[in-house]
Amino acid sequence: MIKKIIFFIITFYILILLQTSFLVHFNVLGVVPNFVLIAVIFINLFSSSKQEKVLSALIGGFYLDVFSLDNRGGFFGFYTLVMLGLFLFLKVILEKYVRLPVIKKI
Amino acid sequence: MLHWNIKKIVAVLVLLFVLIAVFNFTGFSKNIKNFFFLISSPIQKAFWQAGKSISGFASGILEIKTLKKETEDLRLENQELLNQIAVLTELKRENETLRGALELGLEKELELMLVRVINKDISQDSILVNKGRKEGVLEGSAVITAQKVLLGKVRTVYEGFSEVVLISNKESSFGARIPERDADGVIKGKGSFNLSLDLIPREKEISEGDVVITSALGDVYPPGLLVGQIKTIKKSDVDPFQSAEVKAAFDINNLDYLFIVTAH
Repeated sequence: MIKKIIFFIITFYILILLQTSFLVHFNVLGVVPNFVLIAVIFINLFSSSKQEKVLSALIGGFYLDVFSLDNRGGFFGFYTLVMLGLFLFLKVILEKYVRLPVIKKI
Repeated sequence: MLHWNIKKIVAVLVLLFVLIAVFNFTGFSKNIKNFFFLISSPIQKAFWQAGKSISGFASGILEIKTLKKETEDLRLENQELLNQIAVLTELKRENETLRGALELGLEKELELMLVRVINKDISQDSILVNKGRKEGVLEGSAVITAQKVLLGKVRTVYEGFSEVVLISNKESSFGARIPERDADGVIKGKGSFNLSLDLIPREKEISEGDVVITSALGDVYPPGLLVGQIKTIKKSDVDPFQSAEVKAAFDINNLDYLFIVTAH
């Protein structure tokens, strides 16, 4: 658990720094890919661990709040709530409506 | 199992709401941001330089090197000349109107503070600069380039950093004028570095390429700073005002060192 938290803290930190300091030089028509959001969606889609899904949403959202220069929604914590909402949304969608292909052991 | 999950989710949400409320109401969120900006500043600087040189290299492949430099020099020169023309036209008009009627005081020079850009939030038309409260930066101060091109104003001041909201941000709005046509209007940010000049009286004849500068209206920015050039004009017979799209004079990809206007 602690290892996972440390892993996410470091990974998302690197991603957000890349996003805000490196990738801004490569924007296309003022658009820069949101790596943190992509990573959170990716983890929530393909990870089998619920802990990983929640942790990625919380840590990713926190970093977006810290490094976002315009607190969307007018308050600090907006992205954390959005990411948590995204986690719940994907959880409901995946559990109820989607069946991802799995490789069965023969 | 489902019940247990819901209880857990509710507990996490409640904890999260309490934390968010504490962070926002005590102002602790500013301390958190400042802490992260402080520890990230050296890494961000390295990423920034790397990104700048790589993006410059990538564009260099597509262009001839000398042509690129020449274009850049001409662009800067053109920007300076446009600014000079705008200021001179404005001064000429002001002189003609007020000469003999008013005794003008000496024009106050702008007091400037050199800052470096360390972070951009392109999606929200904001940037972060490396000086803050301890250096004496105040919220609402105008931010300009070395060519006296208006960039935006300081929105939030942290201990060692400041957030600058660009004039193209959707919340940005201030008085501007076209000195060549003696026309006033209001510049509004449209996001993604787009600007529009609204509320220009219909009877004023304006044309593409006209220079737009800040006016004293509203006292948001010091007057006479270069904003941009008229790109397209929208005029309707029924509307008492005309509007125009404005091409911002600053280039977001070439921002490195800027000035905060501390007094004007």
